[in-house]
Amino acid sequence: MTNKLDSKDRSEGDREKSRAYQREFWPGILAYTVVLIGVLVWGDLDGNSPWRFLWAVLPVIPALWIVRAVLRHVRRIDDYQRLLLLQALGGGFAVAMIASVTLAFLEIAGLSVPGVGWIIYGAGMLGWIVSGAVVGRR
Amino acid sequence: MKNQLKTLREDRGWTQGALADRLGVSRQTVNALETGRYDPALPLAFRIARLFGQPIESIFTPPEEQDVAES
Repeated sequence: MTNKLDSKDRSEGDREKSRAYQREFWPGILAYTVVLIGVLVWGDLDGNSPWRFLWAVLPVIPALWIVRAVLRHVRRIDDYQRLLLLQALGGGFAVAMIASVTLAFLEIAGLSVPGVGWIIYGAGMLGWIVSGAVVGRR
Repeated sequence: MKNQLKTLREDRGWTQGALADRLGVSRQTVNALETGRYDPALPLAFRIARLFGQPIESIFTPPEEQDVAES
């Protein structure tokens, strides 16, 4: 009896919140991917057209949808889950900041690193994922 | 902070998920509460007390009372 009661299965409330998040998050990711492909194919970002700047910022629109989905998810989850999320985000933020400062110093020292923004983005996301896994296991 | 949550839940034959649904929190949160990794905020503590029909202080033991009991 005790073993059955110690089940690690998610509750129905957990599943419903997760379903709601997926319903709002994945259309945003899909739209973001479509816009990103459109920008890369037709944006002519390394060309000379003045429109290329508009193309470059176009992915912000679907990205805002993703931000909305995440914020709504944060409102749905409980205090403890928000605490874990905050710790994970803090870890990701710290990694992104350290990467940013390190790359800035390398640039001052004369080392030109291409795609700095992407490196910082990747470091921050990786930091968020790893921190999330660590705090979730405690 | 120590608490009687696991005992109270098991007495009623509920899984952590079932208790989580009754309290409107995640199973992960119930697990953190039972293992003492997370102390609930007042609104959740009152929901727990109401659900089990007991005062908060009979479910949760403040650290200073734990020290007295252990000494």
